[in-house]
Amino acid sequence: MSQPESTVSAARGIDPRSPRFGAGITAVLLLVDLFLSLVGATVAAAVLLLAIALLFAWGAFAGVQRHPYGALYRALIRPRLAPPAELEDPAPPTFAQGVGLLVTGVGLVLFAVGVPLALPIAAALAFVAAFLNSVFGYCLGCQLYLLLVRARVIRRRATA
Amino acid sequence: MEKSGVTSRPVNGFAALGILLGLVAVATAVGLVWRATTGRSRAARGHRVLAPADVDVMAFGDRATLLQFSTEFCAPCRSTARVLGSIADDVDGIRHLEVDLTDRPDLADRFRILQTPTTLVLDGTGAIRARIGGAARADDVRTTLDRILGSDHVTA
Repeated sequence: MSQPESTVSAARGIDPRSPRFGAGITAVLLLVDLFLSLVGATVAAAVLLLAIALLFAWGAFAGVQRHPYGALYRALIRPRLAPPAELEDPAPPTFAQGVGLLVTGVGLVLFAVGVPLALPIAAALAFVAAFLNSVFGYCLGCQLYLLLVRARVIRRRATA
Repeated sequence: MEKSGVTSRPVNGFAALGILLGLVAVATAVGLVWRATTGRSRAARGHRVLAPADVDVMAFGDRATLLQFSTEFCAPCRSTARVLGSIADDVDGIRHLEVDLTDRPDLADRFRILQTPTTLVLDGTGAIRARIGGAARADDVRTTLDRILGSDHVTA
């Protein structure tokens, strides 16, 4: 009796554990960054946050399939695990990388124009999102994307 | 290394570690609460009835309809679609419908949807009987259907 009239595109398939592994690395780096920022190692904190933002940009623009953490996961972790029960569309974690880029990018820009507190705040916010994603499988994009849809920021093109 | 002027005052290493521990503890508490509450079916308040035309279909399920709202950027929407689809396959008279809210933002406004997936459980008349925010749990959905259908056919 199931006839889902879905307009959701078919999955192309990545291992769902790979983005969560990557989010775990990101969460640890953000925690280190927050520590550096809190103890006053501001330059080191800014450089590390920039590196984290560039890694987010890599995932957001090249896609999570081509992210270095994905390659690390396939080389080191996946051979030690059972095959994934199911594959996942790369679009949601790619969107999540864009959210991470936005949060860390805004923090860096505000820091550069003279708002020093923006650095630890951006690191802490991005940490919470990455941590919840990695440990609990929480999906920030499931709420943020919908807010953009409801604000009519995101609309379907007629051809899509 | 320190910036002067309007910069935040640095704290010592122990205080910084304490702040980090506090942040991890708060994030863990948030995650545990989220995991305990997400995907739970809740009985609908009031009496609202949908027509099949509201979601651009010809007919609902004879006995119940699992109306799932999704977007493309939502990994748990895929697993929920599999869970609900297999229940609809198992049980006569139950239909699973999936609507992409990017196509129908008006429905997101109408039902005040704040996350995807959100699933509305409709009875045979199209009345909303329950709402599931987050990834649906198969046993919870079957219990809800039992309650709505007034029988034990679903979990049997």
